[in-house]
Amino acid sequence: MEDNKLKAPFAGLVYGQIIYWGVMFASLIVIIGSVMAFITRNNYVPVSYWLSLVWAGKSPSQIWSGITGSLPMGHWYFSHLMTGDGLAAFGISLAVFSVVPALFLSSAVLFKDGDKLYGSLALICGIIVLTGVLGLIPIG
Amino acid sequence: MSGAIEKKGEDGKQRARRKRRGIFTRLVSSVPELTILILLLVGGYTVMAVFSKVQGTQILDPFSIWLIIVGSFLISTAIAIIAVIAGIGGGVIFTPIMLGFTSMDSLIIRATGLVVAMFGGLISSGPFMKSRLANLRVVFFCGVPITIGALAGSVCAIYLHDALGAVGDGMVRLSLGILMLVIAWFLFTGGGKTEYPEPDRIDPLSKKLGLEGSYWEGSLGKVVDYQLVRALPGAFIFIFLGFVGGFFGMGGGAFLTATLNLVMMAPVKIAAACSGVLLAISDATAIWTYITYGALVAILAAPWMLGHVVGGILGAHLLIRIRAGFVRKILIFILILSSVKLIARGLEGTFGIHIPILG
Repeated sequence: MEDNKLKAPFAGLVYGQIIYWGVMFASLIVIIGSVMAFITRNNYVPVSYWLSLVWAGKSPSQIWSGITGSLPMGHWYFSHLMTGDGLAAFGISLAVFSVVPALFLSSAVLFKDGDKLYGSLALICGIIVLTGVLGLIPIG
Repeated sequence: MSGAIEKKGEDGKQRARRKRRGIFTRLVSSVPELTILILLLVGGYTVMAVFSKVQGTQILDPFSIWLIIVGSFLISTAIAIIAVIAGIGGGVIFTPIMLGFTSMDSLIIRATGLVVAMFGGLISSGPFMKSRLANLRVVFFCGVPITIGALAGSVCAIYLHDALGAVGDGMVRLSLGILMLVIAWFLFTGGGKTEYPEPDRIDPLSKKLGLEGSYWEGSLGKVVDYQLVRALPGAFIFIFLGFVGGFFGMGGGAFLTATLNLVMMAPVKIAAACSGVLLAISDATAIWTYITYGALVAILAAPWMLGHVVGGILGAHLLIRIRAGFVRKILIFILILSSVKLIARGLEGTFGIHIPILG
């Protein structure tokens, strides 16, 4: 009886496990990207350029003006996945993005279990995060 | 007699060694993915040192660049362990120190700070959900206002940075310095937290939402039932806390825990676990504004992320071995020191008042 009471809800397990393994997988990509950035010259922007300007206190607009002339205003790494820094940026984004499928799948489980209120709240959370991912709010 | 004492001492040492070996073996067998990750990291950083093709610049030579990456990873791991033990987000340590003591741009620091604040919470979401310490209903109910606030906060940060430049940076440093003093005070007093709060009355909204649950409390050896109250005021506070997190690039986990515990009357363990999961959701919302703007420098953020993944898991497993009170004292000292420096630099940047303090 008590065991049943302490059983974690399936929607919670789905949420937690998707994020955990999503972050683990993304970490591997980040490691590969970082190593690639150091041991090959195959980078979108040289490592020394990134770090030297950051270290010197340059702002993102000053840094990017030397790369593309203006701020990326989007997911620049998608078109540079075969480069070290592009792959590292993709890995970090993928780890952060794991929250979105976790929220949506957890919401689906809650709906399936008949918990429409919390299924809807999880769905709304997911949509808000997705708004950030897609950059739907104009910035800069 | 002395021989007996020596023998006793040796037995104690052997016991401690066995215990340490026991923890290590348990950790390796129960979290094999952590072992694989650590081995890959050690191998990766070695390969990066030996086969580096990075060229130096006038500002940094190749060895300094490698040192920044490896140093960031090691410091990040240490911060994650400290943060888990102290029950806060790593951003509270990272962001003020970097803003106070380096000349790096505030937007880049805040973007990296969100990575630091988020990954401890992300990686602990699974274990917290499994142990029922994180209540799914509480997380999704508070998740909506905190993500709205976080998104608004991150957008405002970019606007203020673009519109006010150096003065805006000064204002950020000044207000963050004051905020750090408040957090240090919270940690010092414990925020008046109560282990198992008992609400006098349950408001109709909280009852209707069913913000309740139960968990196994090991220290009492029984199941503890709880009911959260004040859902509406709690939601409004979470909008504000989300905004602060998104704007400053740190989670403010201490405030989240205090809100859940003191306002909504969640038991302290539940409040701490839910705040970790909520911190991850809100920062995962805010960070996209910084990523799409171009303020997240992946090469710099990568070791901070990896350090928090490793440190987050290690911290959770080592938690019981270290006295949390001692870690809290260190943390309060760090917070006060960085807040003094932040206020001094904030006054300088905002009003042009030069205060020769801490170098």
